Amino acid sequence: MKYADPHLTDQELLLEIEGTASGQNEKPTRAHLDGCWKCLARRKDLENAITDFVHVCQREFDTELPPAAGPRALLRARLAQLAATEPAPRSSWAMVWRGLTSIAAVCGVLALGLILSRFSVGWRNPSGAQSGIVSTPDSRLTPGATLLIDRPAVCTQPDTKNKAVPAALQRKVFEEYGIPGADPRAYEVDYLVTPALGGADDIHNLWPHSYSATAWNARVKDALEDRLREMVCDGSLDLSEAQRDIATNWIAAYKKYFHTDKPLAEHCRGCGR
Amino acid sequence: MSSRITGSMILPFLRTASATDPDSRRVRLEDEVTSLFDQFRNPLLRYLWNLGLTLPDGEEILQDVFLSLFQHLDRGKPLYDARGWLFRVAHNLALKRRGRTRRDSESREQACFEGLAVDPDPNPEDRLASSQTQQRLMAVVRALPEQDRRCLFLRAEGLRYSEIAGVLDMSPAAISLSLSRSLARLARSTERHNL
Repeated sequence: MKYADPHLTDQELLLEIEGTASGQNEKPTRAHLDGCWKCLARRKDLENAITDFVHVCQREFDTELPPAAGPRALLRARLAQLAATEPAPRSSWAMVWRGLTSIAAVCGVLALGLILSRFSVGWRNPSGAQSGIVSTPDSRLTPGATLLIDRPAVCTQPDTKNKAVPAALQRKVFEEYGIPGADPRAYEVDYLVTPALGGADDIHNLWPHSYSATAWNARVKDALEDRLREMVCDGSLDLSEAQRDIATNWIAAYKKYFHTDKPLAEHCRGCGR
Repeated sequence: MSSRITGSMILPFLRTASATDPDSRRVRLEDEVTSLFDQFRNPLLRYLWNLGLTLPDGEEILQDVFLSLFQHLDRGKPLYDARGWLFRVAHNLALKRRGRTRRDSESREQACFEGLAVDPDPNPEDRLASSQTQQRLMAVVRALPEQDRRCLFLRAEGLRYSEIAGVLDMSPAAISLSLSRSLARLARSTERHNL
């Protein structure tokens, strides 16, 4: 006559150890364990294996783990960009309304296209740069881009002056903004998030900022960049917040950090007001 | 809307429900996604690393994971188990990435385990013994089928069986069998040397 093995299987022992994590009922195995030293010993072996495994995995990893500040700042900046560039979700009735208005808009655009084609007006200028004056970047072309860098790295950079943007890249930026024949002396091809605040050397972080003809010119933005860096480095402002504020709306950031509604006189030499 | 997201670890998300203005709602959403990043970045990164990705690749995947989470919530989609969702998305993105850089990741994974094996320990016998136990343990882990290894790593990060089942597309019963099989092997490997 053959008897079934009276002892618990490894799976039953593990479920008993795991308890609620496994979602199983451990009561029947508990009753067996109360009277079986062999199974108790095997249970202990399994527990030791779990302990050893966790220690080995974590010990090895923890020595390699880089600090979270840089990736966290990058995520904050990218979330801000995403929120600024994606249209806000709408409710269902609004979606229906939006559908109807879209159809009307398509008809309108077709009609307008016919009219505009008569006058050969370019359409690739989403920033409104046709006038040649650009004081805010187009978020579709220049959402901003940052490096994986934390506050200590930002504040120990020896040179905080922006690198000169190569001429070919400047031309590309002018083309993107619909001003291919622009005079480079009238613009600073500017970093939206300055490298002094961890901004990346990337066309998505570059835009043609007019030096003159508007109060909110490139020199004013330079002053804001200096101010933000000072605040980040003296610990009064989080790096990710600085990146986010300047990437989202630099003029609003200037007003916020200089407590003023218009550029200060010392920042505004050559302003065309 | 307060039932959109549940779980004791993700209570901060409930605040978003009360924000009606789209801009302030999004600002709160950004804060909450960042809060989840703070909570889960290390476990997720460790899991990706154990899957064989380099740390820079892992960090890059995590950025995509949390941006996807923001978009998911911004569209008003429900999130019943944030931890399970995050691990599932990270796992899927990691497999895609590994598919592209298979050779690199295999060599890194190998280096990780070999790093343990050749850990130079100049200290006395007990530390040497501990190092040898680690070597044996990781040799057994390395010899496990890939899916069993994943189960072990996910469980080591605290995921419950139902969550692991969601990440790996297996049944909870299969998870239980996989874990018990792997742990029994690990236990036997140390048992033989201790006796």
